[in-house]
Amino acid sequence: MVKVQFYSLIRLLLKTESLLVPWAPDDRVHHILHKAQKAVSTPFLHKLLDEQGALHPGTIILINRHNILHLDKLQSVVRDDDLVALFPPGAGG
Amino acid sequence: MDSTARYARQLLFWGEEKQRQIGESTLLIAGVGGLGATVSQLLARAGIGKLYLVDDGLLDLPDLNRQTLYGEQDLGKKKVHIAAERLACINSTLKISVLDQHIDDSFQVPDDVDAVADCLDNFTTRFALYKATVPGTFFVHGGLNGANGQVLTLKKGASQSLETIFAGARQPQGKIPVTPDNVVVIAGLMTNELFHLLWDKPKLLNRFLIVGFDDFHTAFLEV
Repeated sequence: MVKVQFYSLIRLLLKTESLLVPWAPDDRVHHILHKAQKAVSTPFLHKLLDEQGALHPGTIILINRHNILHLDKLQSVVRDDDLVALFPPGAGG
Repeated sequence: MDSTARYARQLLFWGEEKQRQIGESTLLIAGVGGLGATVSQLLARAGIGKLYLVDDGLLDLPDLNRQTLYGEQDLGKKKVHIAAERLACINSTLKISVLDQHIDDSFQVPDDVDAVADCLDNFTTRFALYKATVPGTFFVHGGLNGANGQVLTLKKGASQSLETIFAGARQPQGKIPVTPDNVVVIAGLMTNELFHLLWDKPKLLNRFLIVGFDDFHTAFLEV
């Protein structure tokens, strides 16, 4: 299983802090995100991805503490028991 | 002025040794806007030894809702100079160094700084500040947007860099919603963390504290 954690505005949108999704060999982070969307009642991938499926700026996506933009972006490998976090940070001050 | 009497209430809580450590410390406050005005004020009241204040902005009317060091009479003036005046009034023992400048790739954090407080309002300047921070120095980041805010501590050279962590974050095109109550809470949490790291016990090293004000939710995120 892979744990997906939601923070800030995404947590509020989904009204959930985290969920477990089943892991399969060769899963990439985009697979995990689609599995997570299926598991919740509210669509959220439009907040993360554009119509071509590329990443929108705004939400940082971490796999085990590492930003996927420094891994293989949406093709980043996810392993069993990994932790995927979705966090749209605030920029103001 | 009798420092024992002055700090009597907090000495009851954290004791003389921690007070001494605060008094011997030097912090850099990057940005004296919503977060920085409150962080610097709390540090001054607590008896911090020295503050560098960095900002090149002028006080604008929309700043008055949350920038707690300023009043209507300050509109149009350089915030960093007003901040220095007000902080000196709050605590005359505080040493203040004003850096009236923009933070960009040419900026360098002074060598005597024990920790940096990122009280800025945009990622570009934050990344420049982090690059300018001396390796080994603690860096406390704060940020918010409406009903959500975060605090994070990094140690330059040992932690992932701020830019690495925040890659993909978005700077909104327009103004960011910030209310007085929420910004003061995030500033208070930043100040609390600054005290802890001055005592060599940071609570948020490589760990976001994320606060949701809509439902008083808090969560941690390791980085």
